[in-house]
Amino acid sequence: MRRQGFAWPAVTCAMAMILAAACSPTQSEAPGTALPDWSGVWIAADTDIDISGYPTADSPAGMAIDLLDFDAAPWNAAQREWMRTELPKIWAADALRRGQGWGYPLMMEGVAPMQFLVTPQETLILNFYRDIRHVHTDGRALPPEEDRWPTPWGDSVGHWEGDTLVIETVSVRNGSVLPLPLPPLSPQARFTERLRLSAPDRLELAMTIEDPATLTAPWNLRFEYRRAEGIDRLIHDVMENDRTAVDGDSLTIAPAP
Amino acid sequence: MKSAMRVRVLGALLLLAGLATTVPAHHSAAMFDQTKTVELTGTVRLFQWSNPHCYIQLLVRDAKGVEQEWSLEMGAPMYLYNRGWRPSTVKPGDVLNVKLSPLRKGGPGGLLLDVRTQDGRQLGKASVQPAQAAP
Repeated sequence: MRRQGFAWPAVTCAMAMILAAACSPTQSEAPGTALPDWSGVWIAADTDIDISGYPTADSPAGMAIDLLDFDAAPWNAAQREWMRTELPKIWAADALRRGQGWGYPLMMEGVAPMQFLVTPQETLILNFYRDIRHVHTDGRALPPEEDRWPTPWGDSVGHWEGDTLVIETVSVRNGSVLPLPLPPLSPQARFTERLRLSAPDRLELAMTIEDPATLTAPWNLRFEYRRAEGIDRLIHDVMENDRTAVDGDSLTIAPAP
Repeated sequence: MKSAMRVRVLGALLLLAGLATTVPAHHSAAMFDQTKTVELTGTVRLFQWSNPHCYIQLLVRDAKGVEQEWSLEMGAPMYLYNRGWRPSTVKPGDVLNVKLSPLRKGGPGGLLLDVRTQDGRQLGKASVQPAQAAP
C-alpha cells in the first residue's frame, strides 16, 4: 500500500508531464506570446453594400477599388501599350464568364466579407465566394520553381513578426475567376503582405506587388477592414443561378423558370 | 481616403472597356440605368435566394390591366443576409412596393434598390455601416 501510495503520485505526475507535453498548445511555440484574435467576419472598412449588391449611394469610397485603379500602378511601357490595345478585348470577352469567386489579389479588397482563421501552422483566409488562401506558417518554404503552377489564389507562406503576419505569395494566375477586370500582372508577380490588428476592430493590410515582367517598381497598396456588425457567418452557396444574358451589345437578365 | 474623383476616373476607365465598377456584384452594372428610378407595385411570383444574385419575379399590371412579369435583380445572399433578409422574407403572393434602376435597354427588369410592404415597412435594414466608420 505504501509503495502504491508512493508510486501512484509519481506515475500520475509522470503522466501529467507527458500529457502536458503532448497536449501543450502549439500556439505557445509560435513566435510572439499568443496568436492574435482575428475572429469574426471582416469587410472593407469603408464599404456598405445594400440589397442591390452595390455600395450605397452615400458610400462612394466603396466604389474605388485600389487594385483596379490601374493608373496608380507603375506599369512598364510595353504593359501599358498591351493594356491599351488588348485588355479591352479580353474584358469584353469575359463579360459573360460565370462567376466562381474573386481570386487573389482582388479578394483582399474585402468588399466580399472575409474570415481569418489563425492557427499556429497556417492562417486560412476565406471569403463568402469560397475563395480560400492557405498561408502556411509552419516554417516551410515556398514550393520550388519546378513544382509551381499559377492558380487564381497562388501559393503562400507566412511568418509572424510580433503581432504582424507577413505573407509571401507567388504563382498567381492572371485571369479572373470572376468576370472582373483584374490587374494584368504576370505569373512572375510576387506579393508581400503585412497583416495586423491596428485597433480592436480594425485589420490593416499593406501589400507590395513586384513583377519584373509588367512593373517598373513595387506597387504598394493598403487595405483596411472592419469587423462586420450584423454578420455572424459567411453565407456559402453554389453559383448556379447566374441569369446574366446578352441583349445585343448589352447585358440583360434572363427570364426566370 | 479614396476620393470621389478617383471613383469617377475609375468608372470612366472601366466604361471604356465596356464594363463598369462591378466590384460587389459579379457582372457589369452598366446594364442598369442608375440615373433613373422606377417605382412599381406588384405581386411576388417567385423569390430566388441564390448565388451570385437573388431575384424577385414581380407580377405587375399596367394601366390597361395587362400583367407583365418583372425580373428584379438583387445582391448575393451574403449581402441580403447582412441587411436582415432571409429566404423567407419574401413569399409568393406578397404584394410589394419596389424601387429599381431599370434595364438600360428597356424591358421588364432592373436592379432592385428598395422593397416595402403595402403599409410602407421597409424589408431588411437600411444600413449596416457603423457611424464611426463612415469615410
